[in-house]
Amino acid sequence: MIELYAVVDHPGPRLPTLARLRTAATTRLAAIYAPADDGEISPERLWRHEEIVEALMQDRDLLPVRYGTRLDDERAATRFLTDREEPLVSALDDVRGAVELAVRVLRTGERPDARSRPDPVTSGAEYLRRKAGSAAAERSATLAVHEPLSAAARRDVRRPSSVTGELLRAAYLVDRNRVDEFVSLVARLQDANPALRLLCTGPWPPYSFAER
Amino acid sequence: MTTTIAERDVALIDLIDRLLGGGVVIAGDITLAVADVDLVYVQLRALIASVATANEKNVLPRLGSAS
Repeated sequence: MIELYAVVDHPGPRLPTLARLRTAATTRLAAIYAPADDGEISPERLWRHEEIVEALMQDRDLLPVRYGTRLDDERAATRFLTDREEPLVSALDDVRGAVELAVRVLRTGERPDARSRPDPVTSGAEYLRRKAGSAAAERSATLAVHEPLSAAARRDVRRPSSVTGELLRAAYLVDRNRVDEFVSLVARLQDANPALRLLCTGPWPPYSFAER
Repeated sequence: MTTTIAERDVALIDLIDRLLGGGVVIAGDITLAVADVDLVYVQLRALIASVATANEKNVLPRLGSAS
């Protein structure tokens, strides 16, 4: 069995000497793979996989393949590339020269107006009114973060949140030469929105933009 | 990414979103069992809990209904 890491242009730069990487190629595309090894999944294994894809990302454009994708052999990989050539070529063109930045926005628990003690709630209707008001304030604060980031990115996707207190979970496809600019923008938005906590990680391979 | 240990733990949520929920999908060839994915989330929860304990401000996320 072989394990797939990425789909890249063919021909391309030489492979790094890592993890016994090999390529299966057609005329325009190559799949980068290594012999699959068994063992339990763990954060360490996920990071190891990620390090290999990031090493490849240093000097080439790529479409990362979902973790855990295994095929019988090189011939199966070549067949996959041939069957899906057109959509893969277009998807690779879409991410050319770009990387992915992850941004999550969390509620800090401190609201901007929380310094002055709020009046006691006197009725159920008052409680609901305030609750709706703070939900709307959070939605607009989240948009105040997402919209400028979206404008600085080539494309973006929002993911469902699985974490309590998380208001936004998004991925932005950003030109490689605009990553610093994007990160500064995140810092400015953090300063402008003290009631939110912005977590930005990356640059990642374009996992969230690999399928059209 | 060049990160400290704590940053790596925070980034683990982003890593899992991407490796297990993104990338090119080849139908029928994902060998990762659902049980394996659950195991990752269990380990993730333990990591996040330990980071949150170490963080005075306690602003790190708690894992909700992901598993």
